[in-house]
Amino acid sequence: MLTALILIPLFGALLVALAPVRFARLLSTVVTLAALVVSVVAAFRFNWSYPGSVSFQQSYTLVEQLGVRLSVGADSVSLLLILLTALLGPLCVVGSYTAITTRVRNYYAWLLVLQAAVTGVFAAQDLMLFYVFFEFTLIPLYVLISLYGSTNRRRAATKFFLYTFTGSVIALAGLVYVAYVGYERNLGWSWSIAELQSAAASMTRREQAWVMLAMLAGFAVKVPLFPVHTWLPLAHTEAPTAGSVVLAGVLLKLGTYAFYKFVLPFTPLAVMQYAPAIAVLAIIGIIYTGLICWAQNDVKKLVAYSSVSHLGFCVLGLFAVNMVGISGSILYMLNHGLSTGALFFCIGMLYERYHTRSMDEMGGLSTKMPVFAFFLVFFTMASVGLPGLNGFVSEFMCLLGAFQSGADGPGGVAFGSLGPWFAAVAATGMIVAAMYLLYMVGRVLFGPLREPAGHHEHEKLPTDLSWREIGVLTPIAVLCLVLGLYPKPVLQSLEEPVAMVIDEIRTVNQRAITEAEQAMLADPTQPQTPVVLATETTP
Amino acid sequence: MSDAMSHFLALTPMADVTLYHYLVVSAAMFALGLVGFVSRRNMIVMFLCTELMFQGAGLAMIAFGRRWMDHNGEVFVIFVLTIAAAEAALALALVVLLYRKKHSLDTEAWAQLRG
Amino acid sequence: MAGIIANLMSGLAPTLATAHGAAGHAVTNGAHEAAAAHAATPFEFITPDAGPGFALLILALPLLASVLCGVYAALGIKGKFPAWSTVVLLAGSFVATLMAAGTVFQSNAPLIVHGFDWISLKWGNVPGQSLTANFSLFLDQLTVLWMLFVTGLATLIALYASEYMAGDRGYARFFGFFALFVFMMSCLVMGDSLVLLYLGWEGVGLCSYLLIGFLYKKPSAVAAAKKAFIVNRIGDLGLALGLMLAFTQFGSLEYKEIFRQVAELQAGVAHGHEVPWSIRAIPLLLMVGAFGKSAQLPLYVWLPDAMEGPTPVSALIHAATMVTAGVYLIARFLPVFELNPAALNTVAWIGCLTAFFAATIGMATYDIKRVMAYSTVSQLGYMFLGLGVLSSAGAGNHVVTHAFFKATLFLACGAVMHGFAGQLDLRRLSGLWHMKGWKIVSASMLVGCLCLAGFPLSAGFFSKDMIIAESFVTEGFGGSLLGLLALLTAGLTAYYTFRVFFRVFVGPVEYHAGDEHHGDDAHDDGHGFHPHAPGWAINTVLVTLSAFALAASIPYLIMWFGASHDGWITGLVSHSTAKASNITVGVDHTATFLGANPHFIMYFVSGGIGIVGILVAWLLHFRGRTEAATSPGAEEAARAVGPILTWATNKWYVDEFYDFLLRKPLWFLAHVFYFIDALLVDGIVNLFGWMPRAIGGSLRPSQNGFLQSYAVGMTGGLALLLVIVWIVG
Repeated sequence: MLTALILIPLFGALLVALAPVRFARLLSTVVTLAALVVSVVAAFRFNWSYPGSVSFQQSYTLVEQLGVRLSVGADSVSLLLILLTALLGPLCVVGSYTAITTRVRNYYAWLLVLQAAVTGVFAAQDLMLFYVFFEFTLIPLYVLISLYGSTNRRRAATKFFLYTFTGSVIALAGLVYVAYVGYERNLGWSWSIAELQSAAASMTRREQAWVMLAMLAGFAVKVPLFPVHTWLPLAHTEAPTAGSVVLAGVLLKLGTYAFYKFVLPFTPLAVMQYAPAIAVLAIIGIIYTGLICWAQNDVKKLVAYSSVSHLGFCVLGLFAVNMVGISGSILYMLNHGLSTGALFFCIGMLYERYHTRSMDEMGGLSTKMPVFAFFLVFFTMASVGLPGLNGFVSEFMCLLGAFQSGADGPGGVAFGSLGPWFAAVAATGMIVAAMYLLYMVGRVLFGPLREPAGHHEHEKLPTDLSWREIGVLTPIAVLCLVLGLYPKPVLQSLEEPVAMVIDEIRTVNQRAITEAEQAMLADPTQPQTPVVLATETTP
Repeated sequence: MSDAMSHFLALTPMADVTLYHYLVVSAAMFALGLVGFVSRRNMIVMFLCTELMFQGAGLAMIAFGRRWMDHNGEVFVIFVLTIAAAEAALALALVVLLYRKKHSLDTEAWAQLRG
Repeated sequence: MAGIIANLMSGLAPTLATAHGAAGHAVTNGAHEAAAAHAATPFEFITPDAGPGFALLILALPLLASVLCGVYAALGIKGKFPAWSTVVLLAGSFVATLMAAGTVFQSNAPLIVHGFDWISLKWGNVPGQSLTANFSLFLDQLTVLWMLFVTGLATLIALYASEYMAGDRGYARFFGFFALFVFMMSCLVMGDSLVLLYLGWEGVGLCSYLLIGFLYKKPSAVAAAKKAFIVNRIGDLGLALGLMLAFTQFGSLEYKEIFRQVAELQAGVAHGHEVPWSIRAIPLLLMVGAFGKSAQLPLYVWLPDAMEGPTPVSALIHAATMVTAGVYLIARFLPVFELNPAALNTVAWIGCLTAFFAATIGMATYDIKRVMAYSTVSQLGYMFLGLGVLSSAGAGNHVVTHAFFKATLFLACGAVMHGFAGQLDLRRLSGLWHMKGWKIVSASMLVGCLCLAGFPLSAGFFSKDMIIAESFVTEGFGGSLLGLLALLTAGLTAYYTFRVFFRVFVGPVEYHAGDEHHGDDAHDDGHGFHPHAPGWAINTVLVTLSAFALAASIPYLIMWFGASHDGWITGLVSHSTAKASNITVGVDHTATFLGANPHFIMYFVSGGIGIVGILVAWLLHFRGRTEAATSPGAEEAARAVGPILTWATNKWYVDEFYDFLLRKPLWFLAHVFYFIDALLVDGIVNLFGWMPRAIGGSLRPSQNGFLQSYAVGMTGGLALLLVIVWIVG
């Protein structure tokens, strides 16, 4: 099932590249729709009663001596992200119909390759396979940006590639070290993520800290976390619309997904110890980049920076290390993919008509484009975190998770090493978000009508949105509403996998504490390094 | 020369002309070729110098083959000679082409690889 | 319909009968009765029952109306369809509220109506190991009280708007947002968890944003909308944090669980237990949200600007309903607030100061709609004062009476605005009473003004007195200072209210048109401007509302003439969570004011002060006035107070202060950050990118292109290797 999901777009890409140009659009639409159908079928066949266990497992040995296997599978977290990817696929293709007029085959082929690669990342159950797909996503996106972007595209593409690549190479070192530890423990190479977990958790505190640092270097760039975020605004601004959508929608989630999949379970001791530091970075990102958004004149850059700000909430939720926080964070990945993806679509539609992204040159467009105005306001509100729309539930849960992290609640269940202050400071991000997004909406949509000098109507596109464009935005809007009002099924499917991760972290930490205590009892003369009591740290 | 080496050489079956002599000749050929290659600028002469170095190495191999009563050395040299012949053909063709471009065989005329 | 009302009445009767012991004010029997009323019994938790499903219609109908309007807008349907469908569906919602009220009155326990599951996460079976927030309704008397006037007023104002908004391009859009607002307000009031309350809270904020910015071509309207949303968000931050703290402390966000634990805590307090600070902090956070939404100091600044919205919006959202959400929040969580006397104290003082402060600005504002806006801020301050001194009944009474008379005032202002092409300056309008077709407007304005001014025996008079009197007897709040300030404010209120009335509605006839020409009919027919008197819909609504505003005082009059209860509103409030338990704050039963029981004497004192205020307004703005622009009395008074008038007219420069203190620095910081990001953060990255290039560049000369030098390099390298082997080997 999952193999098919990876192979359909991959072979589709081949087909699109080889077939005559006039079929490119049609073919790629059909291919992405087919992938969507397959993913929906997969969603139906998924074993929702045990969402934490890996379904659709398939495995082929690739390099026997090194234990590298082509192994795919999905638990509910992976499946949800795969669904998101599959959903954005056809929308990106359909959304690019009029925007891309040159080298069409090439464009769609690479777009399909990108989809295959991203699906592969989420489906991989083997560390090596994960890493290969993780890096492979760079190539199609590099091509898309450097060939189809706007004026500064070369620089943006190179920077994007080198920046993220440098980061992930360091992450690779960390991952290989984990595999090596596993090799020593199990006397054999294995890259299976599940098998490596227990081995990784047995690393010492110091080892874990280094491994976490290495992984952070790679994944934090991808998220992106302050201060390694600067490639993102550039890449987003220069990328073609579909590129931006995929970038914001799913590629950034690779970083947070990797946090969830590797950093949390592989280095539980280090996570508990350094979560406050990472949370501080996330919070700085939320407020700092939020304020930067406000200083933007380029509407696309504004949304790009807002991505950085938003993903700060996501990281905050993850490192709250409790049910509410992590579940909220995973939900946030989906929600951000939808609402920010949609915002990029909106801006792309605007750009196609006005060929500018500068807010100085446009204003009051709601008079001319009421339908567009509706969608922009809708997705802005989803992005601001208006209750009833999707952004709220996840943002609220991330903050709530951070808030109760480390507190003694009823039932003594609050776990983690953050605290109310983290949530309180991060929550000011909600005000900042309202400030910059309303600033954008106010300038673009409201006030007296203002259009760029020498503007004339697009020859193919109507003044307001065409049916095709409405068709692209409507599914996202519907999903935003559904996830905002009825997130229950998603949340319930997250209960089991998240609980498993948290149990793992809790067990390892408690074991470490017990061992330290025993060591202290056994040899009281030995000076002990101070033990961080994970469950009791309150900042 | 160390004692160990003389001892080793003394055991060779050819008492008169020892492996040592062959090696000295081959080293001399190689060194002459090297010096020529570095000091001369004419491409054809430089090419000839490389051939000289080649043959020096080849001689050493045959000598070793003889020493161990083993034909691998000869086989290898013949193989190398064949390759060298083909290579000479290519190289001389290239030299001719280069000469046609600049009417000079001086290597200094060709420094496009300067960084 | 008759059945519903009979049901309602039969339910109401026991409620009224048992309201006797509630916190409130007993007049005729003096201090003795007051003592009985303030017995400190801890808050009692009653396990809720399941409620009737039809209550969901109260929410569903406005939502349906909103969706319908969206469909009309999408299909481009012209005409008054949006208005009629909205009015009918809102009326349906009102009827459903009445029916729900009947059910609630017959039940001893609050009712919970389950809609559908919303947020649900569970990770254990111990309480606190789940996060649940459903779309469910919590129906008790307090909910019913709020919903009755929310849906009732919404219906009337929608009817008014059907005429007022006629001819506007965004007719369907307006009613869509309007109905959406009613839905969100219902969520806020009826939600059974703090999260649903938060949904409504933000939702009404959104609708307020959309409706203030309804005339989106006007930059001032867009700016006002943005300001409202952002200032509200600052308050919401407090609410959100309070909510999170509540979850951390109580392990749930549902009212039933929170109140169960609060009841235990209050019982603990009664036995002398300490309340941990982490719980005492909850009310402090919640009230920040209340201050934002209800426009209290220091977050009141958005409300006057919100007057950029169409007048029906101002009447419904920014006077009657949405701004009372803060009052609702505190009333709903009064048991929690009572755990922390400091929080109550803050609420009381903030309310009192806001009332006074806003009144001073109202006295010097020339835009009559903005006078009403400041008076709203001021009256909301009274409500907060009432809550702070634990007169939740007084606050509840004032919310309802204020809703009616303020809606009347706004709609009358709106009629003026509508008729005079947007003219709202009291210096450019005069003598409307004497003009043809403006009698109803003027009369309803008079009714509203009398209520607002606290003229004796009007509804506003009674409800305001309850609060002022209570502030003299409740202990621990800076003595009688609160009460005195509130009394002074009552005088100021009477003055600025009648300042508007005497300037605009009586006196010589004079008018200048404004610069807005909305509506379908041209006001300017080439011969100059003709005022456009309101039609039947506006007049009907005005008459109805004035009647309600007048009738609101009847229960108090009955009480005045010897009945033993405190009115039906008090009955409702004291049968809900808003009943004050006085567990932490005592009442000084022996307190006197001017030598008598404050509850009794206050009627005369505040009535007198109100009349004095009206007289001053008459002296300054009516006596001897011959033109609209100014009057001799006002000139003289302006000379007497000097620059203070200018300051007050400029709203004490609070907006400028905020701009200087918050917006400008943040704006500056944003740009600084942008530069830091581009130069420093990205600069370091680029530095790393530049380093390999620099290293390569420094080695570049070695690549000189000469064959020989490479050969020398190779030979040298080989020699070096040999030497190393020689040495090592």
